[in-house]
Amino acid sequence: MFDVRQSPRVRTESRLAWRLLAPALAVILLVTLFPLAWTAWESLHVHDLRMPWRGRPFVGLANYAELLGEVRLWAALGHTTAFTAISVSLEITFGLILALILDRVARARALVRTVVLIPWALPTVVSALLWRFMFEDRIGVVNAVLAALHLPGSATVWLADPIAAWVPIIGADVWKTTPFVALVLLAGLQTIDDAIYEAARVDGATGWERFRYLTLPLLKPVILVALIFRTLDAFRIFDLVYALTGGGPGTATEPVVLYTFDALFQHLRFGYGAASAVLVFGLTLGLAWIYIRMLGIRHRDAAE
Amino acid sequence: MLGFGTVPGPHQATAPLAQQAINLATDCRLSTVDCRLSTVDCRLPSADCRVPVPYLLLMIGCFLLGCRRSAGDAPVVLTLPSSAVGLEAELLAAQLERFEATHPGIRVVRQVTPDAADQRHQMYVQWLNANAGDPDILQLDVVWTPEFAAAGWLLPLDRFRPERGAFFPVTIEANTWNGELFALPWFVDVGMLYWRTDLLARPPDTFAELDSMARFGMREGGLPYGLVWQGARYEGLVTVFLEYLGAFGGRILESDGSVAIDSEAGLRALVAMVEASSPSGIVPRAALAWQEEPVRFAFQTGQAVFMRNWPYASPLLQESGSAVAGRFAVASMPRGNGGSSTATLGGSQLAINARTEHPAEAYALIEYLTQPEQMLERARVAGQYPARLALYRGALNRALAIPSDAALQVIERATTRPVTPVYTELSGILQVHLHRALSGQQAPRAAVAGAATEIRALLRRTGVGSVGADVRR
Repeated sequence: MFDVRQSPRVRTESRLAWRLLAPALAVILLVTLFPLAWTAWESLHVHDLRMPWRGRPFVGLANYAELLGEVRLWAALGHTTAFTAISVSLEITFGLILALILDRVARARALVRTVVLIPWALPTVVSALLWRFMFEDRIGVVNAVLAALHLPGSATVWLADPIAAWVPIIGADVWKTTPFVALVLLAGLQTIDDAIYEAARVDGATGWERFRYLTLPLLKPVILVALIFRTLDAFRIFDLVYALTGGGPGTATEPVVLYTFDALFQHLRFGYGAASAVLVFGLTLGLAWIYIRMLGIRHRDAAE
Repeated sequence: MLGFGTVPGPHQATAPLAQQAINLATDCRLSTVDCRLSTVDCRLPSADCRVPVPYLLLMIGCFLLGCRRSAGDAPVVLTLPSSAVGLEAELLAAQLERFEATHPGIRVVRQVTPDAADQRHQMYVQWLNANAGDPDILQLDVVWTPEFAAAGWLLPLDRFRPERGAFFPVTIEANTWNGELFALPWFVDVGMLYWRTDLLARPPDTFAELDSMARFGMREGGLPYGLVWQGARYEGLVTVFLEYLGAFGGRILESDGSVAIDSEAGLRALVAMVEASSPSGIVPRAALAWQEEPVRFAFQTGQAVFMRNWPYASPLLQESGSAVAGRFAVASMPRGNGGSSTATLGGSQLAINARTEHPAEAYALIEYLTQPEQMLERARVAGQYPARLALYRGALNRALAIPSDAALQVIERATTRPVTPVYTELSGILQVHLHRALSGQQAPRAAVAGAATEIRALLRRTGVGSVGADVRR
């Protein structure tokens, strides 16, 4: 094999590539890296918009020290992690089932797929309010159904209970994003060659065996992509909780981004809020890095 | 008394000179603002701003030569943030039109701002941080005045000689920071107890009575709820708590700025709220997620014996289709042990942006909007209570949906929320701990202790007390 770096032709081509990429890189630099760097710099200052007389002194890592000493932040991180783990596993499970069903649909495919996407297409705030109404204690449909079926819990005041309040939040998130996961997985399912299943069938594999040993392994890269999207989104959950419970009762359903929002826009503590934002950014970046490494390993496996 | 511009006599004759003097005085103040902000020691000025000698000479010269603004000048344009929709917006538009007619040199432009208090607050802070000269006039929630005044964003109003005595003293207190008045009350809001006249003969005197009357009313009328109040985790919850707190003789901050929420009275007040909203209490659990409107809805559909809400509800409760039209009255919230009946003060204030280029004109507009005629019209159209004591006799009775003596009785019990520049954060701490106690995540004693610890830390961290002891120096 010849060394690409030595070829003059390749070198000019790569220079051209850089030149063509430059505008896009400049835009990314301007709209992504610059605000990010600015936020990081801001997080090293005390900057309280309501107290201009304090100025904007440099305080080093003091904001981070305060942040990490805050019980409410650790609770929020715990909530976020639990929410992410539970809702994403439910979404992947239901999404996979839905994708398998959609894959089998023979008639009116386009229509069925569009209908399935409706929850995903609704604005989050709308679905949050929808779920909120469903879980109202006296007029909500959930308690009415529980009462009609003589099930326990029909008198639950969902939004006033620190544990029960999670039910509408996770329910709304799963309801809303399962169609998205299903669509991604469906695309993956359709790339699998039918001939493989045919061969398996000839070899006498049962339906479960075909799913377990063919569909799942072949679908793994796509599942991983869906996982990346969903995990990062779930970890940054904000609008749903904001509209549904506001983080309450107390702070029992407060995710870390809502905590950051509170510091930034309710209390207008820009330095402290920036520190919190940087923390969230670092955590999501870490998650993304782990996933991308997993994907990379898979690709290398596939290449070998 | 008529509006500012139509007052004849000496007042008008001296106006141009007075206006210039005010302009110069303001210029001098504005130039000192920067230095004040950059150095910590002199950040809040004393009330009088001395006019430098050259300016004084210039002023006298101007007076002698009779120089004044030439008639051909372009009109002064004032900006005023306002709501975009509803009766209030129409009312304001009509009042501004009349103002412009009586003040030919001034034009007022309305700047549309969000109605939600949090969003409006955030917007103001961002504008004022950017040293924007507009909006010239700010419409403030009652708890923002100290915050904005301490930040140096508001022009002290005493130089304009406002009629302090004509307004309810408590509204003046709420708008005073470091001894200076920074805003004039536009209308007052007070927390009041709505009760069903078809079920009860009189309102309750004490919280114990309220409990038994609520149970009686629920039984007699077959109603699901005894009392409904704002129990969601937001500012409204703090206003309800303040009424319980006053009823039991407690305070959030003492007058010397020390934190008093963890007193025995504070604990008793919170216990009373927790018991009321417990499953065996008279307040529905669901109220822990309710703001003003769900509360009004529950009462208006005839589901509750009592409701704690603001005056805005009364015209709506009288509308056709309301299940309680003609079957309710208002009273002040009851008292508990060791305290007295209390109403939390709310309402809107008008203040002048410290960076405005037209302070005199801005004040003329504020003065006009706070005149008795405008306040009466506001009461009639929007149901908002006037801030002037004298209006509660006579004409107002026809303007308000409820008798004005009943309204006055509640207003007389009005209490301010803690007057401190860090109020929003202080309230945030309270909201969390109160809501944890109400939802059973924290015992009341732990909740008041936790709130007190965090508020003390907040005051220490920011270095501001309730009376600005640290800022005043």
